[in-house]
Amino acid sequence: MNFLDRFISSWQKFRKPGYYEEFDYAWTMTIDLDRCTGCGACVTACQAENNTPIVGEKELAKGREMQWMRIERYWEGEYPNARLSFIPMLCQHCDSAPCETVCPVSATYHNQDGLNTQIYNRCIGTRSCAVYCPYEVRYFNYNDHHWDSPLDQQLNPDVTVREKGVMEKCTFCVQRIRQAKDHAKDDGRRRVQDREVQPACVQTCPSEALVFGDRKDTNSSVSKSMRDPRAYHVLEELNALPSVVYLKKVATDA
Amino acid sequence: MASSAIGLFHDPDSALEAAGELMSAGFARPELQSPIPLHGVEAVLGPKKSVIRRFTLFGGLFGAIGGFTLAAGTAVLYLHPAGGRPIIAIPPFLIISYEMTILCGILATVLGFLISARFPAIRERIYVPEAAVDKFVVTVPCETSEHSDRAEAILRDAGAEEVRHLREDGS
Amino acid sequence: MRDEKQELQYSDVNDDVVRSLVVTGRNYYIALGLAIFVTLACFFFPWFYQLYFGIGAAGNNHPAVWGTYLASFIFWIGLSHSGTLLSCVLHITNSEWRKAMYRSAEAMTLFSLLVAATMIMVHVGRPWFIHWAVPYPNQMELWPNFRSPLMFDVMAVTTYLTGSLIFIYMGSIPDFAAVRDRTTGWRHHLYVLLSLGWRGTDTEWHRLGWAYTFLAVLIIPLAVSVHSIVSWDFAMSLVPGLHQTIFAPYFVVGAIYSGTAGIVTVMYVLRKYMNFEHYITKLHFDNLGKLLIVLSLIWTYINVLELFTGWYSGTSTEYEQLNYKLFGFYAPLYWEMILFCAAVPLLMLSRRIRTSFFPMLLISIAINIGMYTERFLIVATTQVRQYLPDRWGTYVPSLVEISIIVGSLALFITLFLVFVKIFPSVSIYEIKETMDTPKKGKPEWQAAQ
Repeated sequence: MNFLDRFISSWQKFRKPGYYEEFDYAWTMTIDLDRCTGCGACVTACQAENNTPIVGEKELAKGREMQWMRIERYWEGEYPNARLSFIPMLCQHCDSAPCETVCPVSATYHNQDGLNTQIYNRCIGTRSCAVYCPYEVRYFNYNDHHWDSPLDQQLNPDVTVREKGVMEKCTFCVQRIRQAKDHAKDDGRRRVQDREVQPACVQTCPSEALVFGDRKDTNSSVSKSMRDPRAYHVLEELNALPSVVYLKKVATDA
Repeated sequence: MASSAIGLFHDPDSALEAAGELMSAGFARPELQSPIPLHGVEAVLGPKKSVIRRFTLFGGLFGAIGGFTLAAGTAVLYLHPAGGRPIIAIPPFLIISYEMTILCGILATVLGFLISARFPAIRERIYVPEAAVDKFVVTVPCETSEHSDRAEAILRDAGAEEVRHLREDGS
Repeated sequence: MRDEKQELQYSDVNDDVVRSLVVTGRNYYIALGLAIFVTLACFFFPWFYQLYFGIGAAGNNHPAVWGTYLASFIFWIGLSHSGTLLSCVLHITNSEWRKAMYRSAEAMTLFSLLVAATMIMVHVGRPWFIHWAVPYPNQMELWPNFRSPLMFDVMAVTTYLTGSLIFIYMGSIPDFAAVRDRTTGWRHHLYVLLSLGWRGTDTEWHRLGWAYTFLAVLIIPLAVSVHSIVSWDFAMSLVPGLHQTIFAPYFVVGAIYSGTAGIVTVMYVLRKYMNFEHYITKLHFDNLGKLLIVLSLIWTYINVLELFTGWYSGTSTEYEQLNYKLFGFYAPLYWEMILFCAAVPLLMLSRRIRTSFFPMLLISIAINIGMYTERFLIVATTQVRQYLPDRWGTYVPSLVEISIIVGSLALFITLFLVFVKIFPSVSIYEIKETMDTPKKGKPEWQAAQ
């Protein structure tokens, strides 16, 4: 169709709020804080799967950690009555992501899977997305990284290694999602089955606190998990419409 | 032979007076050269129209429509949903359109200025260097030597400090 | 030695300006050499180091991903608002006192914008791809994201740069013509080209007058929009402390404020070292001082408003921001900013101080230091104290960053020093307009001969 037709149809299709509902999938993750033990296995798994750089002691001391998934810790009170609350925080893949609108070169956008993706090749490193993200889950490559042997043999060939000057963040292991969709297409199925694809963190969690799936499928485990009465979003008042649902911790101190 | 009579004056009032008298004596419209913009020129030599206005207007309109088209058109060429916002988002694109209005308005004004003032000057034109310092100069084209004598008389009457004749061949 | 301006003749103005262009003393070469050396050593060398090693050379970390480079960018764009905006506004209002100083003020605008553009290149993580932010048809069939505030920035600053360049050039065409006649060699050829064959005919003056007025009318809304757009880089984020509607007026007022202070500094230097004592007088400093007082009061008002709205909002994040800004790690810088930008300028309420040159220089430098601190605080205190307390941190600029700040100032000075020797730094024909036009009859000095 000619340009004018395309113009008018884009205008109409993309003006109403919630047009993401018409996309192919809506990948969602629930994190059950009652089950989460704060062990950090998800952090390690993510680092192993996604070739996240090991920044080293000196850079870490400057505050330049690179962990796409982090366990936030909040202490209350003093010893011996100190209490620790923790919460795993990763990219929330917000539907109204503040970070997506600000990238001047469109290096981050919402793809057909409902994921907030980062295109490493296009990123010029203005770092405005990191400022705009209220969850502060975006990490910038301040230096070129190297992996001491034999760690360089552990790198995942499905994921690129980012150079300096590029922003990165959790992608819900988009490489695994792609593979799952490819398998589904090869099998002649139209959709990926429930629990067929799991990001590294979900796969590794020993207490099964993380559940991942497509919330457009109302029978999937993640949809059932989302309907739990304890469900909430972090920083819900900011209206970023995150795709990560947390289940509030109600375990008593018995 | 065709030449130009050039009169150098000390002050702008005498120069304007001389120009007025030259015009009423039937000469072609004289040209005034001065180091500062003069007031009262239009009263003596007739009104001037400025076409620069039209350039600015059309430049601004072009920029306004062009800016919006650039932003909205390129957004549609490669669909890139971001932040749940519409693909053709009005407030940001209006800002782009505003900036382009001003940019194209500025460029069009410059173009209008260059065209209407006939810049840059490729061929040599009559120029008196003292006009850039402190003298006010009246130049008038004369067809015959009789005309140039009359022009000289008028200029001296009005108080010219110096009168030169510049023939077409440059002497 | 001439004593009063009334005895200045038109030809003296030409003489002075041509002399300022052509006669170069040893001090100038020393100053230029020093400026170039500091630029290379403090700006380009650390920048190349950073290009090689990554932004890690700066003091940025997570959460403070924006640092002094962006603060400097905002500062230099703010400084640029003085010249052209002020010049246009004063032109529209037909004010006389602008005429001696606006040429250098506009030059200041132009060079501030250029330095701001280089600061963006230093700030960005992969500057070799920064051309992707410019809309041009390419093989990737990709266009920049026009919904982004940073793209508004690109368009606005480009337009402002073009507009400033054109504005200063158009205003200088008659001056190029005047100096063209009295110079030789490469200067003569340069001015022949630049003056486009200007002769000073009434037609040409008429056209120039109209074009100049239209440009001034176009540039005023442009300048207001440019710094509003720059403020929206911050204000459109969700960061508490940045996400405020007051940011657009705040930045515009701050820009005009710091820019006018910059003009005072530049005027002092020009007056002293280029022998322009007759053209830049106490009147100019007096009027600039009055303008600075008004801007200082507005600036103080907006800061008080920010404190008030932060307190009135009652939300924990805004409260925390205010608390941190006033009493946290950066508190000394905050109070220094208040001292230099709100308290010290009140000295200018006294007419004696406004008309003394050296105190005005000191006050203007203090204002600019305070304004730079303000930009730095906007960037530093807000990012490190956002919604999630686990992510609070601190940001301290590294040596590379401090060196680049110093180097950017040296770059600006270098550009300005080159400017004063190529452009007539005082507008010849406008000065002549402020002087009495010659009247009929022989003047006294001629009659006395």
